[in-house]
Amino acid sequence: MQEIIIGIGVTALAGALAAVAGAAEDTESNIGSQGDPNSQVQLAPQMGYTHRIYNKAVSGEPPAYTLWVTLACGVAWAFLMMGMNAILAIVLGTVLATIVQGVYATTAYLGRTASLSKFGQPVFTDVLKSVTTVTMGHAFVAIFTTVVICYLLATVIGHPFSLPLLGIVWGLALGAAGSATGNPYYGKERQYQNQKFGAGVPISASGNIVRYAEAGQRSSIDNGFFTAKFGGPASGLCFGLIVFFELWRTVLFEHYLAGWGAVIAGAVIIIIFMVIDRYVEKWARENYGPYTEA
Amino acid sequence: MSAIAAKAGADAGAFQPVPSIIALVLAIIVIAVGFVLGVGQTLCLIVLGAALIAFGVHFVPVGGAPAAMGQAPGIATGVPMLAAGAGLAGLFGGAWAAELGLAVALAGGAIGGALMMAITCLMVNMSYVFGMGIPPASGKIEKDPLTGYTQPEFKSQGTEGHGLPFISYVGGVIGGLLGGLGGTLIYLELLAFYEAVMPAADAVGLAGILAVAMFLVIAVLAAYNITGTIEGPHDPKFKRFPRAIIAAILASALCGILALLLMVLA
Repeated sequence: MQEIIIGIGVTALAGALAAVAGAAEDTESNIGSQGDPNSQVQLAPQMGYTHRIYNKAVSGEPPAYTLWVTLACGVAWAFLMMGMNAILAIVLGTVLATIVQGVYATTAYLGRTASLSKFGQPVFTDVLKSVTTVTMGHAFVAIFTTVVICYLLATVIGHPFSLPLLGIVWGLALGAAGSATGNPYYGKERQYQNQKFGAGVPISASGNIVRYAEAGQRSSIDNGFFTAKFGGPASGLCFGLIVFFELWRTVLFEHYLAGWGAVIAGAVIIIIFMVIDRYVEKWARENYGPYTEA
Repeated sequence: MSAIAAKAGADAGAFQPVPSIIALVLAIIVIAVGFVLGVGQTLCLIVLGAALIAFGVHFVPVGGAPAAMGQAPGIATGVPMLAAGAGLAGLFGGAWAAELGLAVALAGGAIGGALMMAITCLMVNMSYVFGMGIPPASGKIEKDPLTGYTQPEFKSQGTEGHGLPFISYVGGVIGGLLGGLGGTLIYLELLAFYEAVMPAADAVGLAGILAVAMFLVIAVLAAYNITGTIEGPHDPKFKRFPRAIIAAILASALCGILALLLMVLA
């Protein structure tokens, strides 16, 4: 019984940490402009729209976060094996991973922006100085919380995988959840605020991203400010639900029906989410109506 | 060039018999070598797991960069990464249940992958509908075969559709299910093999990292077959899956025999 109660506590804590991780991951990737929407930041100067948006698509978000979380997990694990205090070991691992993220962000911005010089796109050193540290701060939060989840799974819950291996699994899942949920909100809603609300961006408008703010040119930090109101929390909810339900169904129901209890509980949760999705689609069609007559 | 501009040629996805037969013959030779070395059965199950992953990746609705601007339906990230995210979440569940027996572990892995996709796909639609006021619409079909909803009139002007119609949602869940099942099968086979020759903790680590690696190999191979974006099982590109399965059989046979030879030759 005690084992189950501790398991439920860890499940709740891991779910909450995952929600923070997802929100920080999405905000970091939007401020730094990583992931699929960055294709427009890269495309804009080629269409004649030079800008001051950061441009650090090191890779897709999932492999990038796999690298950073696994690196932090690996370093923390090495320190733990040396007998270091767990919190200190995780913080040191995360600091190192964040520095690596900062190096990648810097070289990516310089390299990608310099490659656009023939289209008249300047490299802004003040953008580099002001935005890089902000992305590093958000990356620290995302990496730290994910490593803590992995640590809880490896030590308290007793998952057979070692800390670095859990880092690969949950780093990739974090990037996948964050990019899947958060990317459209940054790509469509923020970069193309000049397009109609409630419709996709016409392909002919590609590259014509919003480059000016209320005063002066738009800064990438303002993009994070905007997406933190919806895209970030939605990504946090997505990753939080994934971690929470994955643990919850196993911790509570694994003891029933020789392990099949967790499988059945998972299947029931999937069906519930399917019903909710069906309702969301129905609601959207009824309330927004068709764009054109069929 | 954007993923939308990169239109495939007329027969880009056509089944090519000669390379397929060559690949199958090579795979049979590798598996035969496996039987000679006494690892044939394990290798066959690894190949089966890889085939399930390759098939599963084709179900996952991935829209890539165009989906991030609401220009195409699907999830706004890359094919192999999303499939790997779901598959590894399944692998996490399957590895956790490994001590409860093969059937429970496989089912646990499959459900883990499907659960990850069910939540992710729901949040994608929530984001489109409640964050951006855009209803889901497919660009590839007139009518959703599951709901009967007509699609063209809900597609905004100048786009190929957006969000995840219900058929794409179901495709995503099936993709996660098959990915989690295949990944867990590979992990369990490698684990059983390594546990016989090394300490359990080392066996878990080695089997885990090789299962993750093999998953990524197969997911990337399948992504090359898809070339960019796919809406799910109703997309014409879905019919290309036999080619990906054949490639996965050969790639996994090679990767698998190397993973097993680590121990046979040690």
